[in-house]
Amino acid sequence: MRRLGVVLGLAVLAAACGGSGGGGAGGGAPAKGGPTVAMMPKNKGNPYFVSCHKGGQEAADQLGVKLLWDGPTETDPAKQNEVVEAWITRGVDVIAVSVENKEAISTVLRKARAKGIKVVTWDADAEKDARDVFVDQATPQGIASVLLDHTSRLLGGKGSFAIITASLTAANQNEWIKNIREQLAAKYPDLKLVDIRPSDDDRKRAFDETQTLLKVHPEVKVIMAIASPAVPGAAEAVRQSGRTDVKVTGLGLPNASKPYLKDGVLDSVVLWNTMDLGYLTVSVANALARGTLKQGKGGLDAGRLGPKDVDGDHIVLGTPFTFTKENVDGFDF
Amino acid sequence: MTPAAGRYRRELGVAGALVLLLGLLTVIAPAFFGAANLRDLLVANAPVLVAAVGMTLVILARQIDISIGSQFAICGVAAGLLAKTGLPMPLVAAGAVAAGAALGAINGALVAGLGLPAIVVTLATMVVLREGLRWRTEGVWIQDLPERFQWFGLGQAGGRVAIVAAAIVVFAAFAWGLRRLAAGRAVYAAGSDPEAARLVGIHPRRVVFATFVFMGALTGLAAVLTAIQFIDVQTSAGTGLEMKVIAAVVVGGVAISGGRGTLVGTLLGVTLLGTIGPALTFLGTQAYWERALQGAVILLAVSTDALPSLVRRRRGRA
Amino acid sequence: MAAPEAAAAAPAPARTGRGGHTHEWLLLALVVAETAYFAYAGSNFFTTGNAGEVARASVEIGLLALALTAVILTGGIDLSVGSLLGLAAVLMGSAHRDLQWPIAAAALVGIGVGVGGGVLNAALVARLGVPPLIVTLGTYSLFRGIAEGFTGGIRNYTDFPPALLFLGQGRLPGGVPAQVPLLVAAAVFFWLLVHRTPIGRGVRAIGFSPEGARFAGIPVARRLSLVYVLSGAMAGLAAVVYAARLGQAKADAGSGYELFAITAVVLGGTSIFGGRGSVHGTLLGLVAVALLQNGLRLSDQPAELAGILTGVLLIGAIGANRLVAERSRA
Repeated sequence: MRRLGVVLGLAVLAAACGGSGGGGAGGGAPAKGGPTVAMMPKNKGNPYFVSCHKGGQEAADQLGVKLLWDGPTETDPAKQNEVVEAWITRGVDVIAVSVENKEAISTVLRKARAKGIKVVTWDADAEKDARDVFVDQATPQGIASVLLDHTSRLLGGKGSFAIITASLTAANQNEWIKNIREQLAAKYPDLKLVDIRPSDDDRKRAFDETQTLLKVHPEVKVIMAIASPAVPGAAEAVRQSGRTDVKVTGLGLPNASKPYLKDGVLDSVVLWNTMDLGYLTVSVANALARGTLKQGKGGLDAGRLGPKDVDGDHIVLGTPFTFTKENVDGFDF
Repeated sequence: MTPAAGRYRRELGVAGALVLLLGLLTVIAPAFFGAANLRDLLVANAPVLVAAVGMTLVILARQIDISIGSQFAICGVAAGLLAKTGLPMPLVAAGAVAAGAALGAINGALVAGLGLPAIVVTLATMVVLREGLRWRTEGVWIQDLPERFQWFGLGQAGGRVAIVAAAIVVFAAFAWGLRRLAAGRAVYAAGSDPEAARLVGIHPRRVVFATFVFMGALTGLAAVLTAIQFIDVQTSAGTGLEMKVIAAVVVGGVAISGGRGTLVGTLLGVTLLGTIGPALTFLGTQAYWERALQGAVILLAVSTDALPSLVRRRRGRA
Repeated sequence: MAAPEAAAAAPAPARTGRGGHTHEWLLLALVVAETAYFAYAGSNFFTTGNAGEVARASVEIGLLALALTAVILTGGIDLSVGSLLGLAAVLMGSAHRDLQWPIAAAALVGIGVGVGGGVLNAALVARLGVPPLIVTLGTYSLFRGIAEGFTGGIRNYTDFPPALLFLGQGRLPGGVPAQVPLLVAAAVFFWLLVHRTPIGRGVRAIGFSPEGARFAGIPVARRLSLVYVLSGAMAGLAAVVYAARLGQAKADAGSGYELFAITAVVLGGTSIFGGRGSVHGTLLGLVAVALLQNGLRLSDQPAELAGILTGVLLIGAIGANRLVAERSRA
């Protein structure tokens, strides 16, 4: 009896929440009221992607787009595929994915395209034939280059540094590390990468690893933290250690970095405007769905971002941006 | 072997392993024993010890709690939000501990009250709490906390002392209580034989409920002790905490079948498992081998314990 | 783990026919209710295409859950299956790419690694008598750690041949995803093993009381070894299907799968203390959770809600299970 009650209760609960379901459109012409764009981050619980969502929603509201936002809550490599499959079944006009695993997701994205659904990748790309357009904010080479420039400047062209990464298997970070190693060999022979430690996207872990690192390798003078929770974690560890000869740089979010930028422990944070990235992605998706995306200079009218150049299947937001103590107050995400 | 040594066989084993590890470090990487490093390790592991004390109680009572990671995250968020309302830090800490106790009470009610198996109940609460928190916060950190949040406003040195002192006080109090108080003995009794315990007037269900509440409260304290080392609160903290703490407790000799084990063993377990990571970094091991070595240590610790009884059984049969 | 407290809670003799299958019938009713609700609320939920995709995504967990049913019936548990899947997947990938072995041989390597991991668990649990929760907590870290160490975290094995990818991504005539027959075969195997052979009866008896089983002449150590080795073998097989479905094998493959599999088993009515449960219950539990997640997604509900409802469902299930157990004792 109790079980029947549970079943009924669940049904009622689900009915209360699920009022918006039903009546899916297949791939093809936009349903009345604007196209449906399904947008997926790598990981829903990351503030980086939360700000992309905000920007995307802003564009969706302006353009009359119905925006679906879903994705893995853990970094399970297989989950993104399942979500895309569900969207194909549900029927959407455009799928926009920030790709966690290039090879894995490309299979299912090709399937979506075969069904007439437009595919956009943003933030991280899939295989070229699996998507219509890639909205890019920075290439892995570009990111590696900017990070190494900052590191080299802080070390005076010569010295040792260490990297705090996300998890050891994180695809994006591994791509950046690969490029960093290549550029170190080619352009910075006097810089030495001493160690790479994982933070598993946990600030405390980044803190602990940095603390240990500073003692095991006292010659390290720069910590490069390439995951957003790792930046404040590493900076706090350096601050607490009292080692004023060590500086931190990396890739992270302005709000979490602000206090450390202000007091000088954190020298520079490389990123791009994530809200604009989300905004641009939805603009592109909308244009694709309505068939208004044109090639060449100014091929996309990206609302408040102005006209954007469309270079084949590649649209670039801009170049990586460096937050510093001077400019960080102008941002809120 | 004297009777005392026999009773503490596991604890001696873990102590032996710890001595071995420290010996290795003395030879290869003596920098490990620098004052700053030892101090930092103490501060880093103090919250783990606090949570492990709670887990010891739960496992002694023949239960388990795999939801403490989610509880940890929620209590950290509670601390941050309470601090933002302007409450003085002692009340903030009390609030977070109370939140933990409330979460523990939910587990306790389902396990002790409804008689549901602890591992399944806490699996369910782990998922519900974590997903619920993530849904609500979307992963956004709690920022712009008042200045007195970090280190309880005591400054870096004072705050560190406070954290370690809190862990020591908790450990000592519970170690004493488990030994000397009737309530402590009741935990052992309920865990080793609930029927017999009932016959001597102990209420096993109340004991079990209490252990879950303590677990929650101590998790809340651990969350506070961690949160105040920073200037903001990460809302997705505590992932994997339950595995870490359970491993430390069982390596320290607390029997998973209940009724056997000591807090001293837990302390040794926390120390051993908390030392491995940094020790490996000092010894120059690559980060990607660390997890395998942790797993190997756990297996070795729990297996060597069983070998003597295996030998005895074989001999008995022959 | 069949402690005196468990005996006090669960019925001592096996269930009578009347209370015997109530749990499974209720679960079936839940599945029907879910299907009906989501057919209304979800877009294109009630289509063969969607059914196929739900089935496809559930095969790996299904294989793990089938073997876990036998493990849990003995009163044990295996937390290491997800990590073992990861290790088997990367070693299979390496055999294929680094050693240049043909894909069939590489797949056998994957399954072999699974068996090897199962043997380790079995040795520690059955021969050394270490509690399964602790052993598999250790191997949970060990297996994943070896996978990470072996690949440096970085190496990702891709470039699998179309023959393998068809297994994971293709469809057989009739629209059935290619890996589903594997799950069906495994389900039949485990159902027969657990419900129709003396081995299965022995496994249950061990769950009720290992000492009693030993006195009854059941070779406890051998039976325990068997269930853990089978669990490992299924993890290896699931690794092959995983690599086929995703087209890649990385050290983080299978993260979190063990909890999903355990949820399916417990939801299906198998008692975590051992002795009571069914393979068909596990399959129903798997279907119930898979439909819930898929249906909510197709109803534009956030992923977190699926997690929360699954947790609530789990509590409801063990609550109901306890009620049924108490009633059939009367």
